[in-house]
Amino acid sequence: MAQTMAEKLLSRHNLAGKPVRAGDFLEARIDGAMCHYHAGEPMRDMAIEAGFKDGLPRVWDREKIYVLLDHHQPALSQKLADENAVIRREVERLGIQCFHDSEPGIAHQMMLDYGLVRPGELVVGNDSHTLGYGSVNSGATGITRADMFYVLLYGELWFQVPHSVKVVLDGRQPNYPIAKDIILTLAGQYGDDFAQSMSIEYSGSLVPQLSIDSRMCLSTHGVEVGAKFAMFQADEATHRFVKARTDKPYEPLAPDAGAAYENEIRLNVNEMSFVVAKPHQFGNVVPVDEAKGVRINQAQIGSCANGRYEDIEIAARMLEGRKVAKGVRFIISPASQQVYLQCLKAGLIEKLIEAGAQVITPGCGVCQPRVGFLSDGEVCITATTRNFKGRKGSTKAEIYLGGPLTVTAAAVAGEIVNPKEVFRGL
Amino acid sequence: MGFDLNRAIRGRVWKFGDSIETDAINPYYRYPTMEELKQHTMEVYRPEFPQQVKPGDIMVTGRNFGCGSSRPGLVLREVGIAAIIAESVARLFLRNSISRAIPIFVAPGVTGIVQDGETLEVDYPGAVIRNAATGASVPLRKYPPAIEQIFECGGLPQFAYERYLREAALGNRRGS
Repeated sequence: MAQTMAEKLLSRHNLAGKPVRAGDFLEARIDGAMCHYHAGEPMRDMAIEAGFKDGLPRVWDREKIYVLLDHHQPALSQKLADENAVIRREVERLGIQCFHDSEPGIAHQMMLDYGLVRPGELVVGNDSHTLGYGSVNSGATGITRADMFYVLLYGELWFQVPHSVKVVLDGRQPNYPIAKDIILTLAGQYGDDFAQSMSIEYSGSLVPQLSIDSRMCLSTHGVEVGAKFAMFQADEATHRFVKARTDKPYEPLAPDAGAAYENEIRLNVNEMSFVVAKPHQFGNVVPVDEAKGVRINQAQIGSCANGRYEDIEIAARMLEGRKVAKGVRFIISPASQQVYLQCLKAGLIEKLIEAGAQVITPGCGVCQPRVGFLSDGEVCITATTRNFKGRKGSTKAEIYLGGPLTVTAAAVAGEIVNPKEVFRGL
Repeated sequence: MGFDLNRAIRGRVWKFGDSIETDAINPYYRYPTMEELKQHTMEVYRPEFPQQVKPGDIMVTGRNFGCGSSRPGLVLREVGIAAIIAESVARLFLRNSISRAIPIFVAPGVTGIVQDGETLEVDYPGAVIRNAATGASVPLRKYPPAIEQIFECGGLPQFAYERYLREAALGNRRGS
């Protein structure tokens, strides 16, 4: 039977040892579990509620659980500091080996930076954007905190094998990142749930030209269109990236010829324009020209979708010799310390600060009401994950999503504008 | 506390649109305690909801309910919502609801058979959702037995605990 990547992944991990196909339910063996700030109080509370009066009695494998304090590092309140203290005690008590405690950054980026995910593995995380590891051919998906409870105890979890949608990307990669425009264009055209509970397989002539950073953006955003997995096949770039970070062996996933797809979607990026998602949904997408002239108070680049080197590099490149518009707060949050360091060594941070941008500590805060709140009536354009009402504080504020280039253009102009009008020679 | 899927549910309907996000259901970044959440759940779509929702009410939603972050909808149970019936549910919200035994049902077409404020009946054994006044109905999707068992246990942590006890008992017997 010809298999999609998801069918192959879950067949390999099926505890019952049999091949599975789209629609089947199974119990699967987990290769790795990323658990962020839920590792403390939420796990303890669920354990007690379920009957384990002293909390979780054990974990299934001390080496395969990765605890990272991304949402809450550094602690932004005493309450969060207290929660972090509970996590430290739990990690110690349960003997969990991999614990990133005092390092700020987004868990997903750190999982990739530190080689904790490998091609072909089934990796779960109690965060919706876990599927970003599909960028390096990992079968990764977000689960719930109660699912994580089960995984921590048994290293197993139920799944329904997803149907697959093939997203074929063709065209030429320009000299700036376009991953955000790609996924927004798809969401605008096919709806914000076109891949609901499905597995996206990215392919096409553009893919070999896409940086790993861009693939991470596309895989991470799979969840914004409903996906369970959002995977790229492993190529030379994947192997280079992974082998530079881990020496553990791995077995990549590739679809079989003749595998069955529910749907096939094609996009030629040569014909794509810059787009933005207007408030308050990801799928509310228009060409940037239709939002032209909207005055902005804040611009942002960061998050597990767009906090990577290439996102920050394009901002720094475009800001050279320019200034952020007066009164605009341009906030840039690298996804991790490793990304921050890379930007620093390349001289990007200096350029950003000289141009009037703020560079803040790596972490999830910029994409949430944690850092850079908005007041009533304010407008923000952001290369982060979501633009829901109230996502940045006031429910009377407006959030537009765009790629890092579109955000930088708006930061310079003080209003939403087509980047081609601000930056000649694009 | 287990949830009995086979018990009939009947309640007044609150209707909502498509792609309602978990930020709206569970805005815990802004309201970190359950007491605060109860005062603010769903208010970005219907400001009167937190004040006027009554125990036993039913939510009917469009497609992609609970998109966005992976967050459970426990607050909806706390304010008394007896069932959520959706055209479709975002996968993580569906997993969250199953793993915490919160009654949620996928019933394509449901938004077409009921108006806001009318009464709906959920008949899980019969696999049907019915408008009590008009008699109009749509089929609901039943869960496979393994998922029904999670509901019966009261959620996945409870399911895990039962398995743990079972395996501990087996281990003891083997050891003796």
